[in-house]
Amino acid sequence: MSKPRVSKQQRTNDRDASLIEAINAGETDRFYELVQRYQQALFNFGLRICGQAADAEDMVQDTFLNVFKYLGTFRFESQFKNWLYRIAMSVCIKRRRRSKFAPERELSLDEFLPGDEQIAAETPAWAREPLDRLLDEELARRIEDAILALPESYRPVLVLRDLEGFSTEETAQILNLTSGNVKVRLHRARLFVREQLKEYFNHEHRRSA
Amino acid sequence: MSIADRPEHDPAHCREMFAHLSEYLDRELDETACREIEQHLRHCDACRACCATLARTVALCRGMPAHAVPETMSTRLREAIEKLRSGDGTVSGAGPD
Repeated sequence: MSKPRVSKQQRTNDRDASLIEAINAGETDRFYELVQRYQQALFNFGLRICGQAADAEDMVQDTFLNVFKYLGTFRFESQFKNWLYRIAMSVCIKRRRRSKFAPERELSLDEFLPGDEQIAAETPAWAREPLDRLLDEELARRIEDAILALPESYRPVLVLRDLEGFSTEETAQILNLTSGNVKVRLHRARLFVREQLKEYFNHEHRRSA
Repeated sequence: MSIADRPEHDPAHCREMFAHLSEYLDRELDETACREIEQHLRHCDACRACCATLARTVALCRGMPAHAVPETMSTRLREAIEKLRSGDGTVSGAGPD
């Protein structure tokens, strides 16, 4: 089967195109520029998927070594960044057995439908306050814990969409899912994190009352 | 009792709207579906509160601060790449597919 043709436009739209072409043309020392561009984002991605800094570091290393090895085969059929995260995900999956992951389970929409006690409730204060007044170190840690508590088929979807900023289509491509599947998993993952935050803010409210 | 069981709601409709709140927030619904959700939110306190807290959850996730890269990671990575460049290193298999 022939490979899909890649238009010049697709290549031009990729901010990494000229650097990749230079590396593939023999300027391999410029590979470090690619590392500089993405190592922090990948490290944070690894932290949020694996939970441990040591696992995240290993994941970043394995990912870049694989990128170095396979970069010559990259044909700009997707953005380089999406290809990079696809490799990173594949490294995470291979390392999964050695890492501590939350147990896999299906999240049902019904478990998140608002309960009786909340029906008459006003929109809570934490949904109205300015973000910068809310997001302190402790809350950031709670959000990270909530993300790590997500079952593993939901966690990468939320991380890619809401923390890494990929679109639904890009996330689907990276995770090899349909767009519909990404939307369903994202919604349930957000509802799950929201439940954890609700508990946190209810507790905070009681503590400060 | 959940919201879907409340007499003032059409449970199936409420559940249907609730199921699409993320797509609504992400502007991934067409105009008709958006209008339907907005109409529902005007009349359903619980879904309105849920939509607001969900939007805030997304905003908090998007605003999460990034952790700095450990110095040791950069050094170790540079050494490993240098080995590969000199033809001295190996890569454990986890290619693009």
